[in-house]
Amino acid sequence: MSVSLQSEAIDVAAEYAQLVGDSPGAAVATFTGYVRDHSDAHAVTELELEHYPEMARNVLEELGQSAAERFGLSSWRIVHRFGRLAVSETIVWVGAVADHRGEAISACELMMDTLKTDAPFWKREQGPKGEQWVASRDSDTERRARWQSRETQ
Amino acid sequence: MSEFQLDLSDISEASAPVDVAAIKKRLSQRGAEWKEALNQPNLVHALNHKVVFTDAVVSEGDELAFFPPMTGG
Repeated sequence: MSVSLQSEAIDVAAEYAQLVGDSPGAAVATFTGYVRDHSDAHAVTELELEHYPEMARNVLEELGQSAAERFGLSSWRIVHRFGRLAVSETIVWVGAVADHRGEAISACELMMDTLKTDAPFWKREQGPKGEQWVASRDSDTERRARWQSRETQ
Repeated sequence: MSEFQLDLSDISEASAPVDVAAIKKRLSQRGAEWKEALNQPNLVHALNHKVVFTDAVVSEGDELAFFPPMTGG
């Protein structure tokens, strides 16, 4: 039931153990995001993540709480990194514990889809042609919007 | 990222309510770079860590942030 913003690598095994240890449930889902070695059209050698710390923490805590209410989670955790990240390093990890798989998986999906567009983090890629800020994707905005339309159904 | 303090009485006369749009307008007068940055079509405005529209009213002590669309995760 918590958020971590950190510059150090995410210890996925330790995070998993703590998530389940807090509340052994029947269904556990997690998602781990890693730095890709390519963007749409070019190679990526390094990523730098800038963030707005206080707002990022508030947004992610509210997101975890709303996912917990919506899907009846007994435990959740969101970990997001900032700073310089090498290719293949972890960027983000979310986990959810529920009574059934549907709720646990949906909660992770909701947390990831919302986090992408609502949490104040910005990626800057380092590649062969130098540095460039990553542009937001319409596909991310669309995925985020799907959850809003489901809320009103 | 840059941070600074702004006196709302410099923006509004006779303590009329000041909204985000008024602050953007005033800051845009600081120069071409400010004007360009603050008039990006996708600019996001956050008041006390909540995303708001430009008609949100700002009070003394509030924290207002302008930034591009978020690209975390």
